Amino acid sequence: MTEMSSLSPQRGKLPVARPRSRIEELAVWWREVDKFLLGLIVALAGIGIAAVAVASPATAADLSTASERLDPLHFLYLHLRWLVVGFAAMIFVSMQSKRDVRRGALLAAAGFTGLLLLVPIAGYEVNGAQRWIRLGMGVQPAEFLKPAFAVALAWVLSWRLKDPGIPVVGLAVAYFGLIAALLMMQPDFGSTVLFGGVLGVLILVSGVPFQRFAMFGGAALGALALVLLLYENGRNRILAFFSGGTEFDQVDLAARTLRAGGWLGTGPFMGERKMALPEAHTDYIFSVIGEEFGLVTCGIVILVYLALVIRILSRVADEEDLFAVLASTGLVALVGGQAFINILVNLQLFPSKGMTLPLISYGGSSTIALFLALGMLLALTRRNPYLSREGPLWADRGDDA
Amino acid sequence: MSVALGGVAQASPAFRLHQERRRVLYLAKIRGLWIALVFFALAVVALARIAWLGAVEPGAQPLSMAQRLLPERGEIVDRNGVPLARAFHARALWYNPQAIGDGGAPLVKSPEAVAKALAAIFPEADEGRLLRKLKSGKPTYLARRILPRQMAKVHALGEPALEYPPEKERFYPQGSLAAHVIGFVDADGEGKVGMEEALQDRLLDPAGRGEPVALSIDARVQGALEDELMAGIEMHEAIGAAGVILDVETGEVLALASLPSFNPNRIDSDGAQNIFNRVTNQVYELGSTFKPLSVAAAIEAGTVKSLARRYPAREPLKVGPHRIRDSHVIGDSLNVPETLIHSSNIVTAQIADELGVERLQKTMVDLGMSVRPEIELPARGHPLFETKKWSRIRNMTVSYGHGIAVTPLHLASAYAAMVNGGIYRPATLMKRAPGEYVEGRRVFSPATSAKMRQMLRMIVVYGTGRKADAEGFRVGGKTGSAEKPGSGGYRRTSLVSTFAAAFPMDRPRYVIIAMFDEPTGNASTYGQRTAGWNAAPAVGRIVPRIGPMLGVDPDATRDIDLSDLKPLVVTEG
Repeated sequence: MTEMSSLSPQRGKLPVARPRSRIEELAVWWREVDKFLLGLIVALAGIGIAAVAVASPATAADLSTASERLDPLHFLYLHLRWLVVGFAAMIFVSMQSKRDVRRGALLAAAGFTGLLLLVPIAGYEVNGAQRWIRLGMGVQPAEFLKPAFAVALAWVLSWRLKDPGIPVVGLAVAYFGLIAALLMMQPDFGSTVLFGGVLGVLILVSGVPFQRFAMFGGAALGALALVLLLYENGRNRILAFFSGGTEFDQVDLAARTLRAGGWLGTGPFMGERKMALPEAHTDYIFSVIGEEFGLVTCGIVILVYLALVIRILSRVADEEDLFAVLASTGLVALVGGQAFINILVNLQLFPSKGMTLPLISYGGSSTIALFLALGMLLALTRRNPYLSREGPLWADRGDDA
Repeated sequence: MSVALGGVAQASPAFRLHQERRRVLYLAKIRGLWIALVFFALAVVALARIAWLGAVEPGAQPLSMAQRLLPERGEIVDRNGVPLARAFHARALWYNPQAIGDGGAPLVKSPEAVAKALAAIFPEADEGRLLRKLKSGKPTYLARRILPRQMAKVHALGEPALEYPPEKERFYPQGSLAAHVIGFVDADGEGKVGMEEALQDRLLDPAGRGEPVALSIDARVQGALEDELMAGIEMHEAIGAAGVILDVETGEVLALASLPSFNPNRIDSDGAQNIFNRVTNQVYELGSTFKPLSVAAAIEAGTVKSLARRYPAREPLKVGPHRIRDSHVIGDSLNVPETLIHSSNIVTAQIADELGVERLQKTMVDLGMSVRPEIELPARGHPLFETKKWSRIRNMTVSYGHGIAVTPLHLASAYAAMVNGGIYRPATLMKRAPGEYVEGRRVFSPATSAKMRQMLRMIVVYGTGRKADAEGFRVGGKTGSAEKPGSGGYRRTSLVSTFAAAFPMDRPRYVIIAMFDEPTGNASTYGQRTAGWNAAPAVGRIVPRIGPMLGVDPDATRDIDLSDLKPLVVTEG
């Protein structure tokens, strides 16, 4: 009770109870954080650990040579390491205030856009695409840029409330255009689509009249089709999707793996199809889950992702700050979009994109970037549970005041 | 208008901004709901797809843990659980020109380069042949069995068209042991020759194949039998040997050997010619080993009332144009035990003549001599058995084992009936459950059987079977050295030497038949080729090895009581 002054409200300032210690800070965080959302994240990460564990032998066997044999659980150990780092990063970010989240994300957006500019000059190639840049370790700037991009766009679009005269949509599209051009140079079609999706969602949510949105959306799809015709890998993948593909392409192997376990799966480490599956631990881990743990578990994974998306969007419905609404929606579109695209690819309902399953797939920088995004979501949806909204959500029409 | 102006006055820029802010916020939340609905729809589509995949397009049926451990083909074990035949994971090299599937060339590199690379991995392969196969564009085997090491090298070639499908492979961990009993599985998965063929359906039956099939064979006994027969073949320079060991009470075959044998793991041309089973498929005139059966029939019929009765034996017996003679003159006259001990054809023929055609023929039919041997194996020889009423001369020759040709297994089953108290039971290669009662048919009375045990024992103690007398094992048996029939009569130089024995004679438990095909006389036998010099010693070596395994311990203090017959054969001492 040393700082009594802080307890007496001052004019123009909200009364802020300052936490006195780390412990109290944590206690406040625990009270405010969305524990259900946190539980969903932990659940998905747990499924991810099991999935990477069973998928690891497939990739380890793939990468082993006669002279150098990888431990079958090599990727599980790496995954656990990244998971710990990512989880710590997520908790740290989730403890920040909205303002700090915004500042951090904007700095990151600037920084990683800069790095993305450097990739064509200083980057290096993996698997035929120049996406990586060396910063002590290999980093894909695009991965970290994704959440930062969503927050930055949300910030730009929220300007319209400060001054309706600012051409926010134009600025947002221009920023996306820059990034898309850089990504297509790598080439990274999957990420481009994801950035475009986030842009579309944010523009829609920011309140652009639906007709205009539909026009822009149509134009964007037209552009997409045009790009596909010019972009060989993407064209091949899409043509393969519509023609059913060849007997042994990745998607087909993934489908066989997915179905091999039936409803209840073969049991952990008992699957055989996965051994023939490339990228078992990343792009096609959903199929490995299908073989080892069964289609029922696949359904549960889908429901958990859906719960995560709905939970965040329902939290957002209580939000008063347009920036927070936009940023949360953008981030959830990013995470959920990536998850569902990956799942639909594995279910052969979408052309192969080379996209990982968030929280479940093995990954280094992508895992960290994802946890940063989730940390921001946790921070943005954090709320004092003792403060409720002023009135019912749907009565608040805005124009009846 | 004033109201309107008032409204305009109220709508200051700050207020309008506030109103705009609320409108935009509200819109954003509604649109957020749309996003939620889109995700909901995606999830429904994904779940529907999963339901479709699970219900309508299920993949290869998932295997449960139990099914996974279920072998493709049931295992075969011996009576003690020693594995005789089991599954083995192997791979073949298969050429699938459609693997790449884009309608272009089936191979990434040129066929010449691939053939060269394959020839480097498989040094035994013919590069030209490989090249022809690769160029043909037809799916085909390039190698039937490849090693994991070779598979890795083929994989490293990076040719999708080179596939290595898993193959069903049968492995016989005991090598050639009991090869004729087990048989093998051919390239089409069909069991051949032995129990693999006989049990084909049972071994493949999903309900039963998890449980190994236990044969009556005892791998240790089988090993001892094959070992000693092989030693006999080498010692006596025979062209082959056959042996069978039978449980006299149950008909279970403890060991069955036909030598030379083959390796079921690798059927080559050398092995293929040895697949023929001498024990169940080849019929022989087994000669003097039939004499005890004829004598038993006569005792049973009551035509021989006293074993002390003497029969003239000096002159060859004239029957029409035929003469029945002994190998040497044994004496002026012989009683029944002496007839068996010294193996007299002349006296046995007289006993059979007295017995009569019908009764000996009926006894032989009752002992199963007229039909193929009763056992599960597919390869069973038809005996050469005159089914019409025999002539007098045939009756007499059959009594000493000529004019009738049966398999060694026939002889084993008949001997089992003779010594077990008189009940004939079919032989089997399936392990009988403990206490399982096997129905049989009575051929001899227990009294006849008891007398025959005494006389068989006497043959080994005093007669031609002395070299089979393993100390303490109370072996009894009869030698038989038959000339093989050739063009224009019997070949005096080609013998089939048989020793048919049982032990321990005070309570017989096992019958053992050892037979050598065309043994030669050499220094080790002082030039002798008869059964007493090769087959009998083989039994004398086998019994001490297998007795303890089968619960028959050597015991010098026990033997069958010969005191009533001993005075008939031992005159001095």
